[in-house]
Amino acid sequence: MTTGISAPLLGRIAALAVVVVLFQIGVVSEVPVFGVVVDLSPLLVAFVGLLCGSMVGAVTGFAVGLLVDLALLQTLGVTSLTFTIVGYWSGRLRELRDPQAALTPLLVGAAGSAAAMIGYSLVEFLLGVDAPVSLELLRQIVLGVVVNTIVALPTWAIVRRSLVGGLPDDPRRRRRRAYTTGGLSPLSRS
Amino acid sequence: MYDKTVRRRRAVLALLVVLSLILLTAYFGEAPGGRLHSVQRGFLTVVSPIQDGANKALKPVRDLVGWFGDTLHAKSQRNQLVKQVDKLRREVIAEEAEKHAYRELLGLYHLDNRLSVSDYHPVTATVVAKSPNIWYSTVTIDKGEAAGVRVNDPVINGEGLVGKVAQVASIGAQVSLITDSSVGVSARIGTSNATGIVQPKVGDPNDLLLQYLPANTQANRGEYVVTSGTVSSPDDSLYPPGIPIGEVTSVNEESAYRSVNVHPLANLHNLDVVQVLTAARGSLPANLSRVAASLPPGQSAGASTAGEQLAATGSGG
Repeated sequence: MTTGISAPLLGRIAALAVVVVLFQIGVVSEVPVFGVVVDLSPLLVAFVGLLCGSMVGAVTGFAVGLLVDLALLQTLGVTSLTFTIVGYWSGRLRELRDPQAALTPLLVGAAGSAAAMIGYSLVEFLLGVDAPVSLELLRQIVLGVVVNTIVALPTWAIVRRSLVGGLPDDPRRRRRRAYTTGGLSPLSRS
Repeated sequence: MYDKTVRRRRAVLALLVVLSLILLTAYFGEAPGGRLHSVQRGFLTVVSPIQDGANKALKPVRDLVGWFGDTLHAKSQRNQLVKQVDKLRREVIAEEAEKHAYRELLGLYHLDNRLSVSDYHPVTATVVAKSPNIWYSTVTIDKGEAAGVRVNDPVINGEGLVGKVAQVASIGAQVSLITDSSVGVSARIGTSNATGIVQPKVGDPNDLLLQYLPANTQANRGEYVVTSGTVSSPDDSLYPPGIPIGEVTSVNEESAYRSVNVHPLANLHNLDVVQVLTAARGSLPANLSRVAASLPPGQSAGASTAGEQLAATGSGG
């Protein structure tokens, strides 16, 4: 299912991860929307998982999380842990269901962002970080998920365009192949 | 083959999770000068120039996005400031109105002290309505019978004589101004003993005429005309003596009597606070007023000796 991960694809993912993290830290973090900041990194991890599968998703999640933790001087491992799970989960979704609906990236982006934010908060609380559990935190999480959902489709388009050339099993190609190698096309079925 | 793939996938996941937990535990447990912290600082040292470069390169993008945000923020700020300005303007207007009222009350207070009108039981009232025509000959005040105001009571403000009460209701009264044709006030010029009657000038309701002065009366432009303290008719009120009415603007040479044009001192177009001299029953001014009203008409004219005697008595000699 996820075999045939080429070195060029890994290179593309690594480059994309570095660019997205730098863009996130340099630009996006300084432009609040509705009082919260858009977080592109969980979207990137979820979409890499959705395109490349669970293993690549998990590894990308771990690497991006580590990069974020290193760059933002956060507790090492927290973001890695949550992003690893997000990347793995979105990859498993592709492997098990292979959803083709147009809104799939939107839902995966929203769910991935929510999982990352809630997971991060939970781990921080488990570590005993002195932050009050308040409605403000809940509001920040909800608003963060909403703004991430808004930018999910454009982010999906960029990630997909960046990786589409090196993907081992592109869904579009697979569909085209199915029509031309014995499978019935929608027209011939009718 | 499938089992191998599944096992590898799970192993990778477990490895990454365990690695994360080890990192987390080690980082959380070590001192700020520990190895992982040093690695983090080292990474930051390496990445900082890249971040800095990316920051500078992407500044236009950030500025563009920020421009939209700032514009929206500025709009909301502008709306807030407009509301704030409206609120402050209302406060300033209220303050100015209060200051104006304070000045008028201060003027009344000084006039009361100067003229000793406390015997007349002054009642301070606010003008609540003005006659809407250009003559401004009547105003309505917010004090009436309930406050002791009665018909013909004199009305003054800080500048001088305003008029007299024409009609009274329980909680309000109508005041005829001295420019109203129904009002006639016994008056004299400065320190002169010769008295006359101040009435509105025909054809010029904003100006007054002091009539029926003896032909030998000396009058100069700029002299003040004050109430004489006498009544000019049985229906008139007894104005306390010495209340400023106006300023002589010109002298008319006539045959038997002399008259002078008088410009009112009180700004009758801008009345806000006035005082009604109620002269409570039983008080000396009220008694004098009653005596004056009972005199035969021939003896109560402006130049009557009875009126002058009353004036002398009313002013305390």
